Amino acid sequence: MEPLAVDALRALARARGLELTEPELEGLLPLVEAARSMMESLRGAGLEGIEPACQYRIL
Amino acid sequence: MSDLFWQSAVDLARLVRTRAVSPVELVRAHLDRIEALDGKLRSFITVTADSALEAARSAEVAVMAGGTLGPLHGVPVALKDLYCTRGVRTTGGSKILGDWVPEADATAVARLAEAGAISLGKLNMHEFAYGPEGLNPHYGAPWNPWDATAHRICGGSSSGSGAAVAAGLCAGALGSDTGGSIRIPASLCGITGIKPTYGRVSRAGVLPLAWSLDHVGPMCRSAADCALMLGAMAGYDPRDQTSSVLPVPDYTSALTGVVKGLRIGVLRPFFIESAAAAQQDALAEALRALEGLGASLQEVELESVGLAAASSTAVVAVEAYAYHEQWIAKRAAEYGPDVRERLRLGAFVSGADYVNGQRARTVIRDGVDHLLSRLDVLVAPTTPIAAVPVGVGSVEIRGERTPVRGALIRYTRPFNASGHPAASVPCGFDGDGLPIGLQIIGRPFDEATVLRVADAYQRATDWHARRPPLVA
Repeated sequence: MEPLAVDALRALARARGLELTEPELEGLLPLVEAARSMMESLRGAGLEGIEPACQYRIL
Repeated sequence: MSDLFWQSAVDLARLVRTRAVSPVELVRAHLDRIEALDGKLRSFITVTADSALEAARSAEVAVMAGGTLGPLHGVPVALKDLYCTRGVRTTGGSKILGDWVPEADATAVARLAEAGAISLGKLNMHEFAYGPEGLNPHYGAPWNPWDATAHRICGGSSSGSGAAVAAGLCAGALGSDTGGSIRIPASLCGITGIKPTYGRVSRAGVLPLAWSLDHVGPMCRSAADCALMLGAMAGYDPRDQTSSVLPVPDYTSALTGVVKGLRIGVLRPFFIESAAAAQQDALAEALRALEGLGASLQEVELESVGLAAASSTAVVAVEAYAYHEQWIAKRAAEYGPDVRERLRLGAFVSGADYVNGQRARTVIRDGVDHLLSRLDVLVAPTTPIAAVPVGVGSVEIRGERTPVRGALIRYTRPFNASGHPAASVPCGFDGDGLPIGLQIIGRPFDEATVLRVADAYQRATDWHARRPPLVA
């Protein structure tokens, strides 16, 4: 997984309507990286063929 | 009558019903206690003294009239400040909703009132329920009553609920639980709380953190009190499309005190094995107690539990971001720093990640269902650690440095993902005199068995009857 640079994070944030300061971007970057790593782990978790949980029970 | 504030909700309801205590006397005693203690505890955001006394006077008239009384008639309770209350501000522990006054009650609030409960006010919480420590930069961090000298966390997000019930400021409280927010403060504050099955209690009128993971439920000083409150709150609600039409059993009648022959699965890998030594010792003693009551124990493993952290992160981050998107873009400065950062994170989790998180939930849910196909309940520690001082960000558990936030939700969030009912009951104290919680997980919509085990354990032990030093 390619590491995310602050510039890329800034661009992504702007695309989502978030104007973040440099310190805010630097503070957020490790959290985003940790989350990306977790999301990557889900992609490798053998979820193929499994449907999303449906919590809207008809019971 | 002295020490009314330490009486159980069950006993208070009986005392009111038999005219041994006046609802006005009861509410005044609790309001006096809030006045005396809450300057330090900071468990309330709003105290509704006038409306509580007015409701108490009406309750007294009803008692004297001799009509039919609800099961919680005259019992003082308090509400986490994310339950909408008609005419009373509902802040969500935030500055953003600091002056917001809803026009209608949450269904759970209305049902408690119909059952006769009297609300004393709105309880402090982690801002918008997004944090397991229970801290709050806008209304002050609640003080854990179990340490008179050091300011320790109550656990969250229902931190005010935990502190208020533990300190005898109310007989019971409403909490909400997206990753453990009923069970964690119950564990850290030495009280009992139950997160019912997803769909058992209506979420209508409850501010969301993550719709598909949010559960609402009671926090009290005993399982019997939780049974009484849950019975009053549970059941189908047309205002909540996810609420179940299954009939609500009489939870109080289910408390037989008998667990002989019950099959209990003990979650050791991931759960007990990674807890601190004091938690392990307390769990071992609790298991001996349950075995002594005739339950059979079997060690089991929830193999899918490793997916819980990533699944929960994906789902909570995206759902919370969706709810807060406009505010976080335009009013970011009004959030506390930790919640602001956590909410922003949701902007960088993709739709595919979200769906993968929900797919992982299927695997987790099926894993829990599989274990419970041959067992009646599962047990585990509620948290691997006890309450830490405010400001402490990491702890050492079994020689390994661990962030407090991750540790607090480690054992609870798998059952938000799965939707199974789960309770926390006090099961001991660590070397610093801080409470430890035992988590009991049951089959979907079988809160009755979870509460039966919790109640039987409390009949055999007195951990839940201990009182914190700050307010003893």
